Amino acid sequence: MHILATEGLTKRFPTVTAVDQLSVTVGPGVTGLVGANGAGKSTLIKILLGLLPPTGGAARVLDLDVTSQGAEIRRLVGYMPEHECLPPDVSATELVVHLAQMSGLPRTAARERAADVLRHVGLAEERYRPIGGYSTGMKQRVKLAQALVHDPRLIFLDEPTNGLDPRGRDEMLMLIKRIGTEFGISVLVTSHLLGELERICDHVIVIDAGRLLRSSAIGEFTQATQTVTVEVDEGTEPLAARLAERGQTVSQQGRMLVVKVLGPETYDMIRDATADLDLCLIRLEQGRHRIEDVFREEVAGV
Amino acid sequence: MSEIYDIGYRHYDGPRLGPGYSTRALTLHSLRGVFGLGRPARSKIIPFALFVIMLLPAVVNIAMMALAQQRGIAYSGFAVVMQAVVAIFLASQAPAVVAPDLRYRVLPLYLSRPVSIVEYVSAKVAAMTVALFLLVAVPLTLVYVGELVVDMPGPPATGEYAGALLMALVLAVLLSVFGLALASFTPRRGLGVASVIVVYLLSSASVPMVYGIFAESGNESAASWAWLLNPFWLVDSVQSWLFNTPPHSIEGTYPNGPASAVILVVLIGIGLAALALRYRKAAAR
Repeated sequence: MHILATEGLTKRFPTVTAVDQLSVTVGPGVTGLVGANGAGKSTLIKILLGLLPPTGGAARVLDLDVTSQGAEIRRLVGYMPEHECLPPDVSATELVVHLAQMSGLPRTAARERAADVLRHVGLAEERYRPIGGYSTGMKQRVKLAQALVHDPRLIFLDEPTNGLDPRGRDEMLMLIKRIGTEFGISVLVTSHLLGELERICDHVIVIDAGRLLRSSAIGEFTQATQTVTVEVDEGTEPLAARLAERGQTVSQQGRMLVVKVLGPETYDMIRDATADLDLCLIRLEQGRHRIEDVFREEVAGV
Repeated sequence: MSEIYDIGYRHYDGPRLGPGYSTRALTLHSLRGVFGLGRPARSKIIPFALFVIMLLPAVVNIAMMALAQQRGIAYSGFAVVMQAVVAIFLASQAPAVVAPDLRYRVLPLYLSRPVSIVEYVSAKVAAMTVALFLLVAVPLTLVYVGELVVDMPGPPATGEYAGALLMALVLAVLLSVFGLALASFTPRRGLGVASVIVVYLLSSASVPMVYGIFAESGNESAASWAWLLNPFWLVDSVQSWLFNTPPHSIEGTYPNGPASAVILVVLIGIGLAALALRYRKAAAR
């Protein structure tokens, strides 16, 4: 079943086309939406929330049409904006209870849900203090809590790791993974950093200038190209030449050679080639392949 | 002995109520905000101090009735006499209702829920209207209760009291629509306070000037229109037309007929249109 699907979705602003003929489907689980700043991620989320009418094409969220059933969609999804959106003079508890009521939860249920959700995102006693005194990490947690409080079936997280330090980033990512698995809530999370998404996503969609570059399961991304990194003391060029001769795909990156793994024979060939050339092998390392590299290749290919 | 269990994430399968409920909840939340309830103590000082000031003449009125068998401020003139306090209340509290959501960009959190922009603005206007109505109606009611208890000679002024309550509601609608529109165009709180108070001062100060110019040239009927420049006298003139109460202008009379009522309706319409424009822009952000 599709959580959301778009068909030729287009959004044109007077000066720029933010989303361009986008056709993509998203299944349950955690899906990453990746693109540089200004790639159209936030615009896409606003369209999917039914807040921005598309110029062309169609989109369905939880099998509801975004142009005609926006209110029903907003009842069933949660949204964490990219920008700061918290009033400083109320406490996290009061804000989250209030926003739960805005989603239609009766007051007592809203209180219970708010307490539950704030505990899940890791806000303890400080939740009774005014938000103005919170750190960036705590504010991001409150923003996440308000998106979860009405137990949505799908949440849109717009750049949830923005402004966090490395540790806060890790905690936020783990939390998002838990939401997708333990909580059973589907997640669409945007980021301009691919590295952090590959740790938590089941599926990644890459967009650039509003166009779909790629949409595939995370496994395909990392399996697409296996490489091995070779470092020798001297004679990098002869080795590269020798390997290329034998039909290997070799590229030089600084002092290192990156060799595409075609099969187990690639490793044998590298071993034999270094031995034949009598080179001093310093490093032979399984390529720590990141989807970032795939992204780079694809952007280069476009 | 007690143990803490991690019961994990629990789904919610209880009721999800409709937009009517959310709008009411937002109205109540905003109304609490006007009086600083659920906020730090310093947010409560100004609204409650002004409320107490509004109650003082009511207490004096009751004392006069009890001790000297004399009426103080008439019900119909209470809002006009106390207009400065009501205006300060509007100026200081209208920004608290609309400004934070604009300034701190909380609005998207509402709009990503099943709350429409129309419901949002309606709830805000309703909250400010109720607050201003309470500010005027509570002292009036106190005096009326006092009048019944003291048992003044002659029949109680029930009709005038009821009329004054109705006009308090009309005044509250006019003031809140305008106050919120002004405050929403100036999301910084201090600016919002200043803009509302400046508009009120201009409207008040222009009355004697315009009135003086026309009165000196002997044009009394033209001068009477000057009173309508100020919202409190405008509403008083509508009251005078509807209920035949004596005008509470400082001197002279109001223009005859329903003209002031028409102006009042037009002004409320302009205020609502300004709010609609402002929030359509804010929602698109």
